[in-house]
Amino acid sequence: MTEPKAPTLPDTEYRWMSALLRGGLLTSLVLLVGALLAYALIHPDLTLAQAIGANPILRFLELPGLGSGLASGDPAAYLTLGLIVLVATPILRVASGFYYFRHGHERGMEAITLTVLALLLFGLLVLGPVIR
Amino acid sequence: MNLDLILPLLLLLAIAGGLVGSLTGLGGAVIVIPALVILFGVPVPVAIGTGAVTILATSSAAGSAYVRDRLSDLRIGMFLEIATVPGALLGATATVLLVHASLADGLLVALGIVLLLVVPGAVARRHEELPGPVTPDSRSREFGLSGSYQDRVLGREVPYQAESTTPALEVMFGAGVVSGMFGIGAGVFKVLALERYLRLPMKVATATSNFMIGVTAAAGAGVLFAAGFINPLIAAPVAVGTAAGAYGGSRLLPYLRNQTVRLVFIPFIVLLAVEVILRGFGIA
Repeated sequence: MTEPKAPTLPDTEYRWMSALLRGGLLTSLVLLVGALLAYALIHPDLTLAQAIGANPILRFLELPGLGSGLASGDPAAYLTLGLIVLVATPILRVASGFYYFRHGHERGMEAITLTVLALLLFGLLVLGPVIR
Repeated sequence: MNLDLILPLLLLLAIAGGLVGSLTGLGGAVIVIPALVILFGVPVPVAIGTGAVTILATSSAAGSAYVRDRLSDLRIGMFLEIATVPGALLGATATVLLVHASLADGLLVALGIVLLLVVPGAVARRHEELPGPVTPDSRSREFGLSGSYQDRVLGREVPYQAESTTPALEVMFGAGVVSGMFGIGAGVFKVLALERYLRLPMKVATATSNFMIGVTAAAGAGVLFAAGFINPLIAAPVAVGTAAGAYGGSRLLPYLRNQTVRLVFIPFIVLLAVEVILRGFGIA
């Protein structure tokens, strides 16, 4: 039989998370489409093989490089930023879950979301660069 | 072929992939990754990185609606991510190391085999609207893995509680490995764990799987991104197109017979998988 209902997450948490996913996706899509059009205008003669061979993201994998690329208006830097926003959106969602469980004093779920968050950041900031 | 011609073609491919992926329930990446390799000659690691980005876009698009309607169970989704995320990190790391070891062809063969395994899984889904009696295990009770949703078709609030968490976590870990390694959502495996082991209602299982796919993909995509395996010139148009195609598919789906859609497109996906395997062996 189904057990009595456990504490459920409030509507505000669901609404916030839905808005976060939608906002993150829209922001990243706007960045990606805008930067892609600008890149195509600047490099109209680039072939597919050249595009694959000279992956523009490689110049912006380090934060200082990305910062200066964004400041100089380089479309490739904005493409990279769009991808970062896309990857960061679900990570922010986990962070939001951690915040909720912490305030609800749910130690078990708090530990789980914190571990997941740590693993996600570890993959992005440590594991990926190490095995590059 | 120049970029100004390639971008619209990539966009069209992605829209078609997103549409078919949404209609068949397999997800756009399952179609887009082999199509990029076969039709555009995109290297396997770049195609896999593109797949991961595609999943992120489609999961966020569909996920926001499911979450708003409270169909996704955030608590159960987050609980299971403790298994999918390490799996995805492992899978993505394996992909990077295999490519560095010049074993990309082996990766291609493995991708084709996984695609062949995923397709029957989608076809054979049980489609049991509501589960029978459930006996929750101690972990399910401890973490409060239960909830309810308003079923518009049944016209009532449907309560549910997760049953066997251990096998569900094991399957989720495997789903994470597959997702991280091949850049696909592996939603078939996730839904299997949610329906068969946790015994969640079909709608909650589908929506929670979609919700989880985004975080699993973020784990794999994070590694692939930081390792330089994601090329935005390929990934950006494909992500935009797939998200648009998936949105169109979700609008179209109520007007189409599910079985007909699957019968039309699934042989096509099987052909893609076979082609990928042959290429991996250097035959195609």
